[in-house]
Amino acid sequence: MDRELAQELTLLRRKLTVAAVLTGLVVLASLPHMLGLHSLAFLPGWFTSPWTQLLLSTPVLFWCGREFFTGAASAFRQHSADMNTLVAAGTGIAWLASLVATFAPQLLRAEGLPADVYYETAAVIITLIVLGRLLEARARGQTSEAIRRLLQLQPPTARVLRNGVPQEIPVALVVVGDQVQMRPGEKLPVDGVVVEGSSWVEESMLTGEPTPVEKGPGDSVIGASMNRSGSFSFRVSHVGSDTVLAQIVELVRQAQSSRTRVQKLADQVVGWFVPVVIAIAITAFVVWFLVSGNPVLAMLFLVSVLVIACPCALGLATPTSIMVASGKGAESGLIFRSAEALETAGGLRTIVLDKTGTLTLGHPEVTDFERLPAGKLPVQTLLAAVAALEERSEHPLAEAIVGYIRPQLQDPQLPAVEGFEAVAGLGVQGNVAGRKVLVGTPRWMSELGIDITGLTPLVARMEAAACSVAAVVVDNRIEACFGIADPLKPSAAAAVVALRRLGLQVVLLSGDARRTAEVVAGQVGIERVIAEVRPADKAAVIRRLQEQGDGPVAMVGDGINDAPALAAADVGIAMGTGTDVAIAASDITLISGNLAGVPAAIELSRHTMANIRQNLFFAFAYNVAGIPIAAGLLFPFTGWLLSPMIAGGAMAFSSVSVVTNALRLRRFRPTPLSVAAS
Amino acid sequence: MLLPFLMAEGSAARAAAEPLWRSIEQPSGLNVLVVVVGLALIAWELWWFLGRHGSGTAAKLGEQGIQEITITVDGGYIPARIKAIAGRPLRLSFHRIDPSGCVAQVIFPDFHKSLDLPLNATTSLELPATPPGIYPFHCGMNMVRGVMEVN
Repeated sequence: MDRELAQELTLLRRKLTVAAVLTGLVVLASLPHMLGLHSLAFLPGWFTSPWTQLLLSTPVLFWCGREFFTGAASAFRQHSADMNTLVAAGTGIAWLASLVATFAPQLLRAEGLPADVYYETAAVIITLIVLGRLLEARARGQTSEAIRRLLQLQPPTARVLRNGVPQEIPVALVVVGDQVQMRPGEKLPVDGVVVEGSSWVEESMLTGEPTPVEKGPGDSVIGASMNRSGSFSFRVSHVGSDTVLAQIVELVRQAQSSRTRVQKLADQVVGWFVPVVIAIAITAFVVWFLVSGNPVLAMLFLVSVLVIACPCALGLATPTSIMVASGKGAESGLIFRSAEALETAGGLRTIVLDKTGTLTLGHPEVTDFERLPAGKLPVQTLLAAVAALEERSEHPLAEAIVGYIRPQLQDPQLPAVEGFEAVAGLGVQGNVAGRKVLVGTPRWMSELGIDITGLTPLVARMEAAACSVAAVVVDNRIEACFGIADPLKPSAAAAVVALRRLGLQVVLLSGDARRTAEVVAGQVGIERVIAEVRPADKAAVIRRLQEQGDGPVAMVGDGINDAPALAAADVGIAMGTGTDVAIAASDITLISGNLAGVPAAIELSRHTMANIRQNLFFAFAYNVAGIPIAAGLLFPFTGWLLSPMIAGGAMAFSSVSVVTNALRLRRFRPTPLSVAAS
Repeated sequence: MLLPFLMAEGSAARAAAEPLWRSIEQPSGLNVLVVVVGLALIAWELWWFLGRHGSGTAAKLGEQGIQEITITVDGGYIPARIKAIAGRPLRLSFHRIDPSGCVAQVIFPDFHKSLDLPLNATTSLELPATPPGIYPFHCGMNMVRGVMEVN
């Protein structure tokens, strides 16, 4: 495609050069006529003759402007009309009328009209519009630059160990399971998991995060990131279209292929725009003929109307802005899945943040373990039973409990579990060594009718420290409890401030106990807390907010349990560090998992929508104002008339200005959190 | 005279002096003819561009129940109106012979899909089984349009 664009630009430049030279000569030849003189001393008579002008202008129209005529013809056959139709009809009519004056001037003179030719009008219009096309093609190349830049991030080759020997091979030949060696300063060719060595890896080109991340054995690495300091090797996990980079490119492409709601409206207008303009042009001709009886004057109004109307500006107004904005987002690690997401995000009123993994790091750790006086089981037996149960759960809290217990066990062999069951948002249960063991929230225990009075002071203490509490019940007897803390992300508080400054209501949604959630909310400055919500009910909470008039509502989350709420929200925002299910259910993905991306995405959306509104306003206003002036509506009152040449120039530059305005979005920079917070 | 035109302003006084601005007494028969022809032209072009013409070209049912149709890209999409049956996948093959960069990409906004069309080559896009409806498609810059009618 790049080569094709380059070829198009070369051809347009060549055509523009030829058109400019020939048109310059035609304008010079028509100078005496323009000045109202019979001749000019420095111009020979043969040069100013209509025949010379015909000779000079014909290649401008039918070689330089060939695409306008062929395009108009095939559109006509398809019963459709576009910008080509207007340009071809406008210049064609001026050229044909001149042909009459060249071949049969007596026809006009018999009417008392001068046998003037308008070859220069047709030639100037074509030249200006070819210039417009050239500028537009160049700008168009820049709008898709982001995708091109993303694709260029991947290095062409990889150093792969084959039979124990490192070999430099093209990336296309790398397969899953290969071991790739990396040296400092090299870009990673594909995704994988570090098996040996360690290093600091910069992922900024994909995540927008400037700080390099430390990677060691077991850590995932993504293709296109930059290895800064150390040497390491990694086992390839994804290649080709499965890599994170390829998926980002695909998502950006998808967003660029979708439409906003405003665009659907513009599309409808564009559909009937050209036929209506043709009708207005014919009406202008008829009216001016009736008023003046002068067919030449009427023809010039007809041509002006045809060549000033610009359906392109209307058609280009939204797609170019969307294209630039989604590319710009991708550069900062903000992936919009559709144009509609980009559109809706700017109008959000409420933003709901999930706690674990969104506000917090999502790596909870046990900070407290308390036995209860009622507990009878030996500690080792109890811990082994809890670990055996929790090892079957994928919940982050379960992972934290297992991570805490494992090093303390004298016997690493865990007892067998029968009848395991995970109750979403509440806990796990099963039979271990003949005992019924439950690990879960105190609320769940009391719902099951278990006496938890002994637990109350401990729960209060732990929740006040923003800990989640997991109670352990064995055979209906409360045995112990764990306090699990999940540290806040460093950017959490500043991001919440930034969101509030953007005028949004921020809500914390959590499955945790109210006290814990409120403490966390207090730490980051969130006033509204909806706690103790089961995963299945999160979507209902979002719908309730929408119904209560808090909408449009965005949900920010990362886990599988957030997926229904992400889908129910007007805009679902997933952390790229989260699960694939959450990302699939979302409208916006923040590759880095940094909360700063949320206000940045909203800011980008607002900038984009403002840009689209400017473009649409400009395109509509231009046409609404330009067409009546070209039709001579103002002439009786002000004496204002518009030359067809100026009309053609205005048409060419209206679409250029729309694209140029869209390109301003490339300069968008989200407000840094430190500034937003101050 | 084009100069006053070029200056984008003319005055009635100057207009009267110059032949281009001269008013000519036309026979009323000619005036009527111009009005009639003008109205007829308007009616005809509105009918030609905005009226319904034919019901579009139907995709042919090919192997494995996939509907297939080839669309030539030359100034526009030929055919520009495609008919397909609901609930069956559809393979659209675009053959681009138009060198203009505008048509180098075709976009199906309802499917969030886009396809790059190399010049003088046929490129295919497979769409999943689709519910009945009208699905527009257009070039990368939204200037050349077509429509897919699924019944």
